[in-house]
Order: sequence, then C-alpha cells, then structure tokens
Amino acid sequence: MSRTTNTVLAVTALVWSALPAFADAKTEAYVQTNASEVLATLNDPSMNAQQRTAAFSKYMDQFTDLDAVSNFVIGKYSRRFSEQELTAYRKAFRTYALAVYENELDNYRGKEVVVKDSVDRSDTDSIVNTVIKRQDGKDMDVRWRVLTRDGQYQVVDVALNLDGNLIWLGIEQRAQFIALLDRANGSASALIAKIDSMTADLKQSKRT
Amino acid sequence: MQNRIIGVALALGLGACASTGPTAPGEVPDPYEGFNRQMFAFNQGVDQYALSPAATVYETVTPEFARDRLGDFLGNLKSPVIFVNDVLQAQPGRATDTFFRFTINTTVGLVGLWDAADYFGLDGHSEDFGQTLAVWGVDGGPYLVMPFLGPTNPRDLIGSGVDRALDPLTWTEFAGQPDLDDQIAMGRGILGGLNARVAFDDQIKSLNEQPEPYVALRRIYSSQRQAAIRNGRPVDDTEAYDDLPDFDEFEN
Repeated sequence: MSRTTNTVLAVTALVWSALPAFADAKTEAYVQTNASEVLATLNDPSMNAQQRTAAFSKYMDQFTDLDAVSNFVIGKYSRRFSEQELTAYRKAFRTYALAVYENELDNYRGKEVVVKDSVDRSDTDSIVNTVIKRQDGKDMDVRWRVLTRDGQYQVVDVALNLDGNLIWLGIEQRAQFIALLDRANGSASALIAKIDSMTADLKQSKRT
Repeated sequence: MQNRIIGVALALGLGACASTGPTAPGEVPDPYEGFNRQMFAFNQGVDQYALSPAATVYETVTPEFARDRLGDFLGNLKSPVIFVNDVLQAQPGRATDTFFRFTINTTVGLVGLWDAADYFGLDGHSEDFGQTLAVWGVDGGPYLVMPFLGPTNPRDLIGSGVDRALDPLTWTEFAGQPDLDDQIAMGRGILGGLNARVAFDDQIKSLNEQPEPYVALRRIYSSQRQAAIRNGRPVDDTEAYDDLPDFDEFEN
C-alpha cells in the first residue's frame, strides 16, 4: 500500500472517529445565545412579575417546541386522546411547562450559559453541553437536546447533571404522566386535573 | 427477621429471572409493581402518621446545631463499613481517605461529633456492600419496596445485611449489661431516622407533589444508585445518549 493511501486512510479514520465532537457549531451558538437571553429576561429589573412571565413565555415559544414536548410526555396517549382532549391537555401542559421552566431557570437568572461541547446523535438531533454558574457560585452542568426541523433549531429536553446523575426533565415527566394515565384508564381529565393542581402550586411559590 | 427478608428477596429475585421480560431503555424492571405499590402506600402511611409527626416534634425540641452534631457522629460510625467496602472495591485512594477521616473525626472531631476532616479537605463519601456487589458485576435484579426500608433490590437488600454484619457495633457486647448493645442499636436507628427525616423534609414534600410519586421514587432510586456505583463519575458522552427515546415517534 502506498504512503499516500496510508495517509488518506489515517486522516479518514481520524476524521471519522472525531465526528461526534464536531457537532454543528450553529446548534451550539443557538443554545448559547438563546439560553443566555432567556436567563437575562428573568433578571431584567425593569419588568414586574407579570411582564417578566410574558417576556419569558415569548422567548420559550421561540426556543422550544412545546407542542412536540407535550406529545412526547404522554407517549402513546397522544394518539388516543380525542382532538378536544388533546387541545385541553396541551393548554394545561403549556401553562404548567412554562411555570416549571420559569421556576427552575429562575435559579440561574442573569447568568451566562457557556457551551462546553456537543454531540450529534443524528443529522437532526444534537446534545449541547453547557455550564451555568448558579446563584450560590457552583457550576451547574446543563445539557440541551436540540432537534433541527426544516432548518429551524428547537430545544425539546433539558438535562441536569446532579452528582453524575443525568436527569432529563422531559423523560422524567413522561414516565410519570404515562404511569398516571395507565392507572386512570387513559383519562385525559385526570391528567389535566393533576397538571392544573401542580401549576397552582408552582404559581404560589413563584418569585414576585 | 433480616434473614427472612433476605430469603424473600432472594426468592423474588430468582422468580424474576424467569418472569422479567425485556424493559425499554432507561426503564427500571419492576415485575412486582402490585406488591411494591402496596408497600409504598404502607411506608407513606407510616411516614404520614408516625415518622413525619415525630420528626416535627424532634425538630422543634432540638436545635439545628445538635442535629448537625448527631448527623456527623452517626456518619462517623459508618466509616468502618465504608472503609471495608472501599478496600473490597480496590479503591486504595478512597480507602485511605476514609481511614484518615475516621481517625481525624474520632480524635480532633471529639468522637465524631464534628466532621473535622472536612476542614482538612478530606471529603466524605458513601459506600456499601450493594455497591461492592455491583462493582463485582452482580446485577441489581428487580425493583423492590420493603416495609420500613423503602426502595431497594435483591442485591442491595443482601448488601445491607452484609453491611450490618461488617459493622463492629453489631458484635459489640458490654460486660454486665447484656441489653445495652441492643438499646444502642435501637437508639442509633431511631435518632438516625429522625435526623434523616428532618434533613430530607423538602425532598419528601417535593416527591409527594409529583404526578406519580411511586414512579418518581423508583426512577430516583435507580439512577442515584447507578451514579453512586460509578462514584459520581458521569457516564461517558458516547454512551450517555444511546438510550434517549425518539422524540418524533408520537408526533401528530
């Protein structure tokens, strides 16, 4: 085998083995910019609580695909609910999800999101690893799952690394929602009632 | 009693080998969910009507300073068991840390009442024989919920029995006071339980507010045990995302 062929094979092997580390730089930039802006919104002193929530919700609508998330967390039931049930559920879930994210991300308000690296699961499915410095000074390892659809990036799940334990919020929610529906014979109203009650609890504990 | 529980767990574990079907990625095998849910409800009842009210009284009558000292003291008592498991897992660095932590805390820390080793940069860690078995390649088996003990699996249940046997205090006898060792063990269990209940109050409230607390606890237990077995090291990025579910599967 010629030296040229060897070199080409070696370079090809090197590039191939390094591929997962070369996730789309645009995906990383998308997370860096948008996540930082969302956290900045939560820290804007010129807004009152109502304005802050409205601005946060607007950002989250651009940043995430809440309809896709709402389908994901009920799994097989997204096909079993009637159109009317699905509409009512999505409305309840949207309010709940925005309240959850606002409460959770409020701990990181005003902080900058620093991208470490990213991994491509496929051409349209990437994980971006970031670090956010918390209010208490500790670094928080946060990972964002980003899907690309029709050239648009959208975050569909967020994972927190707690002592080596990677917790994907959407997947945890999905396990519980599906278990609840399984035990309630697939009743959409039982799930919606539970979601509404959790939303009410979250709103009570919200920062004013 | 412990032997009987281990016997039941072994029987359940062996039965599960024959009956457990494949589970989806990230799922926790739970072939005895009916039994487990009953035990979970029983434990929640014990917590609601006995442990939680007792912990509230305990928190009221003891200052935080005293609870911290008790927590450090009870933590130090676990050091010999942690040390043995560090050695069994061939972790000389962690075993050395545990040895010096125990030495410093028992002397400078006044019989363990203060975690003095922490000031010298020796952070504590936890180990148990369930983790040792996992490091040796023993599979956890099906998820179990035991009355009073809570979430576990056959491997960890056996591990807790072995840890008890490894604990020097289990075998300590006091001349002329044959019941004192049992009283110490009971006091250690009760005070440790109350201290832990006060410390984890927020987490327990948060768990009970989940849509399905049973499922939430099952997942928390399983993932925390896996992280503890890896000694907190994150899963390699190339493997961490293999099991993620397909997001578009249920798109309308």
